[in-house]
Amino acid sequence: MVFIVDDDEAVRNSLRLLVKSVGLPASTANSAQEFLASYDPAHAGCLVLDVRMPGMSGIELQQQLNQRGAVIPVIFITGHGDIPMAVEAMQQGAFDFLQKPFRDQDLIDRIQRALEKDRLSREELTQRSRIRERRESLTPREREVLDLVTSGKPNKIMAADLGLSQRTVEIHRARVMEKMGASSLAQLVRMALDLQEPQTGAGK
Amino acid sequence: MSKTTSADDLKALLDAAVDGIVLIDRRGIIQVFNRAAEGLFGVAAAEVIGRNVTVLMTENDGGLHDEHLKKYMDTGVPQIIGRGREVIARRKDGSTFPAFLSVGVVEGSEPTRFVGLIQDLSDRRWAEEEARRLQERLWQVSRLATMGEMASGIAHELNQPLAAIANYSQACDRLLGQPDADIAEIREALREITGQAVRAGEIIRKLRGLATHSDSESEPTNMNRLILELADLVRSSTKVHDIQCDLDLGHDLPDLKIQPAEIQQVILNLVRNAIESFPSDGSGARRIVIRTASTGQGDIEVSVSDNGPGVASDIAPCLFEPFCSSKDKSAGLGLAISRTIIARHGGTLKYQPNHPIGACFIVRLPCSCT
Repeated sequence: MVFIVDDDEAVRNSLRLLVKSVGLPASTANSAQEFLASYDPAHAGCLVLDVRMPGMSGIELQQQLNQRGAVIPVIFITGHGDIPMAVEAMQQGAFDFLQKPFRDQDLIDRIQRALEKDRLSREELTQRSRIRERRESLTPREREVLDLVTSGKPNKIMAADLGLSQRTVEIHRARVMEKMGASSLAQLVRMALDLQEPQTGAGK
Repeated sequence: MSKTTSADDLKALLDAAVDGIVLIDRRGIIQVFNRAAEGLFGVAAAEVIGRNVTVLMTENDGGLHDEHLKKYMDTGVPQIIGRGREVIARRKDGSTFPAFLSVGVVEGSEPTRFVGLIQDLSDRRWAEEEARRLQERLWQVSRLATMGEMASGIAHELNQPLAAIANYSQACDRLLGQPDADIAEIREALREITGQAVRAGEIIRKLRGLATHSDSESEPTNMNRLILELADLVRSSTKVHDIQCDLDLGHDLPDLKIQPAEIQQVILNLVRNAIESFPSDGSGARRIVIRTASTGQGDIEVSVSDNGPGVASDIAPCLFEPFCSSKDKSAGLGLAISRTIIARHGGTLKYQPNHPIGACFIVRLPCSCT
């Protein structure tokens, strides 16, 4: 879904038609507040947003979304062409910035790329939560083993650290691999690294 | 013992005077003609003494003079005696010049004699004309400056309809390339394109309206309509600066006989000042309100108020004087010019602080209704 937010009715409606003409679903809002009121982070898509609007500006909306931890990619459109604002927007994590009037292909390209990016981000998020769930399902002892294994400790050292027999450690290790759904040590390490990745802001 | 007589003294006095001095009898015959008068009229005293003073006037004024003289002699009621008036004086060579004539009666003269003082007003006239010409030029420059400052706001305003037109037409292009194109939808889009083109045209028209020379005639104008015409242009400027602009228009306002372009100029000037009063890095809701109201005494008030920092107390006393400005790059003439324009319409322009914060400028214009 392409979300379009612009206080100018003509621009809003014309954008909606343009998006529709390439076969994408579009939804419009005439203010940042209206958009926020009905926004659900579970909705996949991208946001096409005017920078300056009465009430909450586009930049302020972006900040609000960042605060909520939203990852929806944001494409700013502006009739002003101010560079400081463009820089601010990009630093705050905007996906892209376009000046009105623009060529339709320019916007559509960016929308397509933003939608793809959103899809990938969501996949990553689901992946990560899946891994987290699996980790939650481990017993505390198994979690200890997971941390030690992924930090590169061989069984012998782990056994000494945990005060267990090597045999016990091996059993724990096998169960960890099974529960985490990892088919190799390398894969397990990758999962552990994924979990450590810091959360990114909206649009990044 | 002085060698000179009182007659010599008198002659010296007369010839030292800057203004022309003429003495006439009750029939208007010139008896005394001083040196300054010789210079003013380009004629020697000997040539005019004994002739009627009307030779120094245009035909029109000459006729009037005879009338006035006769009337005074008959009735004793002075017309210009003791007061004086402006006349067109005529030189020997036929050329004329504007003059101020004061006439007095020689006290106790028997038969009655009159003394006239003639002051050449040519220089003063020229200076007045020059000042008026410069003032016109200043207003024109100020008008252009206002337009220039609104340029970025106007550019943005034009971008909106242009963007909409670009989007719609490109969308139509794509839609027409699809096998099951919805013709009704495409047609609707084409109508929108027309509408947006008209919208852009309106903005240009309003801008051009601002540019017209203020030689326009005064016409009965509805103040609310005037402000609504300005609203789009004003909003484009305020939007650029993240300022909300609201209109609070009164009801049943009588029409005013004004020069619309000049009054619009004043309002735009006040709005521009309000916009510039906000600090560039400030935060918080910025608001400008344009209000119109009938005062109930037959006047109309138009006020421009803002919630900016207001006018500093050290600037307030000289606010409306030329070259008093708190801004570096401003000449400080805007309010002075605005006040003059309003005064020319018989109105007033005043400042008062806005509550709780900000500035409020109030224009009061008299209604033309009698």
